[in-house]
Amino acid sequence: MAELFELTLGGLSVGMVYAAIGLSLVLIWRATRILNYAQGGMAMFTTYLAFEVINRTGSYWAGFAAALLAGLLLGGVIERVVIRPVENKPPLNAIIVTIGLLIFLEGLAGVIYGGQYRSFPAAFSINGLHAGSVALGISANDVFVAVAVLVAALLLAGLFQYTSVGLRLRAAAFSPPVARLLGVRVGRMLTLGWALAGLIGALAGVLVSPDTFLYPNSMDAVFVLGFTAAVIGGLDSPVGAIAGGLILGVALSYVGGYLGSDLVPLFGLAALVVVLMIRPEGLFSSAAARQV
Amino acid sequence: MTLLRHLAAAVVVALILVLLTIRLDAFRDYQIAEVACYVVAVAGLTALVGLSGQISLGHGAFMAIGAYSAALLLLHLRWPLAGVLAASTVITAASGAVVGVAAARLRGPYLAGATLLLAVALPSLALSDNSLFGGDQGLSVVINTPAFLGPSFPLTRWQAWLTCGCALITLVLLANLARSRVGRSWRAAGDDEVAAALAGLNVAGLRVLAFVVSAACAGLGGALLAVTTSIVSPDAYTVTLSVALLTGAVLGGLGSLAGAVWGSLVLVLVPTYVMDVASSHGLSSSAGSNIPVAAYGVVLVVVMLLFPDGIQGGLVRLYRPLAARVPHPHWRGRARPDDSTGPPTAPAPQPRASASEHQEEGSI
Amino acid sequence: MSEPAAAPATPAEPDALAVRDLAAGYGGGLALRGVSLSVRPASITAVLGANGAGKTTLLRAISGVIRPRGGRVLLNGRDMTGQHPEDMARSGVAHVPEGQGVIAELTVEENLRLGALWRRGREVRAAALAEAYQRFRVLADRRRRTAATLSGGERQMLVIARALMAQPRVLLLDEPSLGLAPRVVAQVMQLIADLRAAGLTVLLVEQNARGALSIADQGVVLNLGQVVATAEAGALAADVQLRQHYLGF
Repeated sequence: MAELFELTLGGLSVGMVYAAIGLSLVLIWRATRILNYAQGGMAMFTTYLAFEVINRTGSYWAGFAAALLAGLLLGGVIERVVIRPVENKPPLNAIIVTIGLLIFLEGLAGVIYGGQYRSFPAAFSINGLHAGSVALGISANDVFVAVAVLVAALLLAGLFQYTSVGLRLRAAAFSPPVARLLGVRVGRMLTLGWALAGLIGALAGVLVSPDTFLYPNSMDAVFVLGFTAAVIGGLDSPVGAIAGGLILGVALSYVGGYLGSDLVPLFGLAALVVVLMIRPEGLFSSAAARQV
Repeated sequence: MTLLRHLAAAVVVALILVLLTIRLDAFRDYQIAEVACYVVAVAGLTALVGLSGQISLGHGAFMAIGAYSAALLLLHLRWPLAGVLAASTVITAASGAVVGVAAARLRGPYLAGATLLLAVALPSLALSDNSLFGGDQGLSVVINTPAFLGPSFPLTRWQAWLTCGCALITLVLLANLARSRVGRSWRAAGDDEVAAALAGLNVAGLRVLAFVVSAACAGLGGALLAVTTSIVSPDAYTVTLSVALLTGAVLGGLGSLAGAVWGSLVLVLVPTYVMDVASSHGLSSSAGSNIPVAAYGVVLVVVMLLFPDGIQGGLVRLYRPLAARVPHPHWRGRARPDDSTGPPTAPAPQPRASASEHQEEGSI
Repeated sequence: MSEPAAAPATPAEPDALAVRDLAAGYGGGLALRGVSLSVRPASITAVLGANGAGKTTLLRAISGVIRPRGGRVLLNGRDMTGQHPEDMARSGVAHVPEGQGVIAELTVEENLRLGALWRRGREVRAAALAEAYQRFRVLADRRRRTAATLSGGERQMLVIARALMAQPRVLLLDEPSLGLAPRVVAQVMQLIADLRAAGLTVLLVEQNARGALSIADQGVVLNLGQVVATAEAGALAADVQLRQHYLGF
């Protein structure tokens, strides 16, 4: 019983990371109808940046902040420079461009930093927490991971739902031509959408890198699972991405705990295949989001 | 008749290649062979993407299937080479059918994601059974020059002839397929599924067929690559290969068979060149091996943004009168990047779409 | 066929909206081939003609949705040709496109607020919203509902109210009566006439020529992208030959 509890908590924590990536993918999908294959690569890159800052300043939080800021900027710049030209072209163009971006970032990181695995610090202790003498099975850092993503998601939700900027962002995502006629600068809103997605992705990167170690391809698996989380929830649904992430995190945690950790990647892939074949539009999506 | 024109062109090219391989040294022959292997795979991929409008990020996996099939058949069953190549092609075609059926309902990013999964998952399958697949050492593949060529015929030249011959046959077959009813149906289903279905086309069947054909090409390419490089191992068939194939197709010009040749040339020659430059400047080997990867990425992005029609499109625009007389197969597909809404570039007095229409009509 | 009559304009006062030799199109062709018209302040000009005559293209070329290939668009005498739609909106041109353009995923209130977001000053925006609710009681009643739940007539009210949130000087309306029941059409037409009384300049594209001419001051008939008649509304309505040839009644 205790093991189940442990596995569940651990799964929720790592599931939050998948949820974060999934959320950033949903943000971009809703705004520009593009699936950003480079999301993991961008997160990897900003984590390397954080790594540099931490090494030079000795402060984790300086690195943390640097990663978030870099994610914001990187997302915005990429949309403006690389994505803008393909936003109104056939979807294939955007797919190829984002894949090209992904392998460019991974290649560049390989050139600059080499392929070796680097250890990335955690924000808080990774020792198991105890309630009295009872081991809870998760660490302070796990709690931090879950809380950080939750706070970020709530802030984002608040931004979208209750502010003027959020209203403009939603209008630009739902109906760009109408939004333009109402004076909304749609281009800027799309850039902002990508910037926010970059921010969330960067957060996911620094949160998960203590576990995965940092190397040019370190975010590939996380990206696939984040993509799976988004697909499970439905690419149109931010809430769905979070739910999908949590479900996936807990399920994979059970697989790893009860069936062996070798099977985890296979199970993750199997989950994606199953969802794509049975209900591609996701569990939470109302519209048929499976169109090109 | 189109078939005759294509055959005639193929014969001419074959003669040129024979002369080249005789005059060039062994290493160049080897490179020619490598290029030809990729041409076979990229041609199939460009047909899938450019003609039937489906994207695949997993064609490296199909090449792996073809390569491993060939290796195992040669090793364990000792079939003659022609049989091995044919069997590998068929086996990979069958796997293409499986993937095509599984992915038939998927479009756009979902299809890309699913095929990417294939590319990621397959190498680990090879690692699962060490005894059969040779683990990460892989399997070695050895072929000999056929007896009728004489005892002193260089192996690399034979490899070049073999692979180029297969490449030419593949190109001719694909070119004819493109002009046939199947090719037109692919284009129709790719351009507008609903209209095609209403017109009575079996859209799902066509999509699967496209996967089968392109997988068969990739399988043949993989088998030829195994024979050329004399080894099959999992790390030769990673996601990077799948992306490289797509890069080759995009670079050459999606939907263009001639473009498949250009793209393959770039794929083989540029990384070698880049790594030579890197090591001569004293960069570490890890840096050197990552530069081609970064370069692929840059190529994909830049070509998509600036030259959506790739090399072949650029050539067509510059040498349209010449290109119109050479019967090269060039078809339009739904997935072709659409830049007809942008301002026309200076040297082109006519919109590109009408140029290719003109060519198609002229070739019939 | 009546000859184009010069729209009588007071020389000192510039036209609220003027279009000179405007040409625009899609892809390879031209849907609009050199259209000229003038709209006086606080008036309604009806743009009429068969399907495909270029009426919608005209509005899009004015508001910036498509880029004109030739000619000029003058707003109060100022050359605004080729501006982006966001900038035209901020300059006082409100375009209500065909099919209404309600953002279905947003609530009624969010749709309305969107119309005035670019305006400075919280009080200004709040006042605009209050005014909209006062004029359109129906919207006040449904303010928290998603726009998707509104009926056709309510949606038309919503998009007009939303356009008015920006306090535009010129209102471009594309087929406001499309798909609406006759009673509702009458309400919409009355609303437009009231807006003119309040000082708004309206360019009204309508298939329903009879209804449009009944409230308009001026009528412009397009055919195949060109103006074939410009006249005072009453004169146009009285020209039976023209009506039957181009307008179908």
